Amino acid sequence: MKQGLKSPVFLGLTAIMLINICVIVFYAPVERTMGIVQKVFYFHVASAWVGLLALTVVFAASILYLWKRTERANDLALASAEIGTVFISCTLLTGPLWAYPIWNTWWTWDPRLTTTLVLWFMYVAYIALQGGGAAEARKRLAAVYGIICFVNVPLVFFSTRWWRSIHPVVVTGEGMGLTSEMKAAMFLSVGVFSLLYLHLLRLRIKSLALQQRVKGLKAELFS
Amino acid sequence: MGRFWRKVFVIYWKDLREEFRSADHLLATLVFGTMLVFVISFALELVEIGSAQVFPAVLWVSVFFMAVLALQRSFAKEQEDGTLDALLLASGDRSVLFYAKFLSSLTMLLLLEAIVVPLLWIFIEVETAKVTFWFFLAALLLGSWGLAAAGTLLNGITAQLPGARLLFPILTFPILIPLLIGAILCTQRALAGEVAPVLGWLYLLMIFDLVFTVLPLVLFDYVLEG
Repeated sequence: MKQGLKSPVFLGLTAIMLINICVIVFYAPVERTMGIVQKVFYFHVASAWVGLLALTVVFAASILYLWKRTERANDLALASAEIGTVFISCTLLTGPLWAYPIWNTWWTWDPRLTTTLVLWFMYVAYIALQGGGAAEARKRLAAVYGIICFVNVPLVFFSTRWWRSIHPVVVTGEGMGLTSEMKAAMFLSVGVFSLLYLHLLRLRIKSLALQQRVKGLKAELFS
Repeated sequence: MGRFWRKVFVIYWKDLREEFRSADHLLATLVFGTMLVFVISFALELVEIGSAQVFPAVLWVSVFFMAVLALQRSFAKEQEDGTLDALLLASGDRSVLFYAKFLSSLTMLLLLEAIVVPLLWIFIEVETAKVTFWFFLAALLLGSWGLAAAGTLLNGITAQLPGARLLFPILTFPILIPLLIGAILCTQRALAGEVAPVLGWLYLLMIFDLVFTVLPLVLFDYVLEG
């Protein structure tokens, strides 16, 4: 299969991302009170979703690594953590763009915001722990930390939520506060971002495996 | 079961004796904690902020930093002296080691707090008339418990990575956020003397403590493997 910019997967993904952007810009209606700034919502929610998905993958891959001890499980966990960090960063950056005009503040200590920020810190700590990569001990210890982080997320969320909340709750018991076009755009966006995540994940795992191979070959060459 | 706790106690006792015989680290941590509360209360005094209100926040931030310093050594010292393998062989069970280290860390943390907290109390001039003391002490104990448990688990992780000292606070602080919230809110209400509305937070602290006391039973075998 062709690699890089000419690979069919990349081209396909580019096409649906463009469609996704067109749907967000032209199809989804402009929100009545918030206006055009509400459009950032589609990127915001999709990135947040991928961030959580990636953390779950880190958790599952960590358990898998402790169980099977395969190089691939560790690569999956690390790649997912790295991509998750990028998407969580997107969530943290797009949030204030919307919050400033709507809430009149860039940042507030709402449960979702706080949890997301803590999540970001945990991801960064996880990557720092993996940094260097080589030794078996690091991988094992990172896997343990990946599990601890996942266990901690609900504790962080419920403790901050209990404390206070002003973040709009999109999905409530009575359905969503969105028109059907908005819903369609949101689900499309979430889907497309998930595909992007999977694609990046595949590429990153491949590059990690190649890194390993280069290291092995170097060691062979100079031994 | 009895044998398990006897082993825990032997290692716990060894740890405490070791710390007290050469008290450098304990003393250095105490001096650091004292200096920390002095610097923070003095800084707040300079900008004339009604300090009694900020007492819970200052207290817990100080305790957090002091705990990082106090706990940093629990496994690292064994690693440096090369005694970790011997301890593992002697105890035969990795969770024995966790509980022993957890208890010795908790004891040392409480000893440090016994000196630093009254000092902060005096510096900041907290009014004692309305304070619900049992609740204040309960929050302090449960908070320290969670700090010691999570800290011991994560120190087991970072101690094995040479040159990764700085990783310990980086890994620990995000995990401790729920504890920080609960501990600060409980302390605040304890000072105001109206504890009924925050009883739930005391339960949250208990849940946090429980999670990080039980989780190592499963995870600690993987931490100290090999």
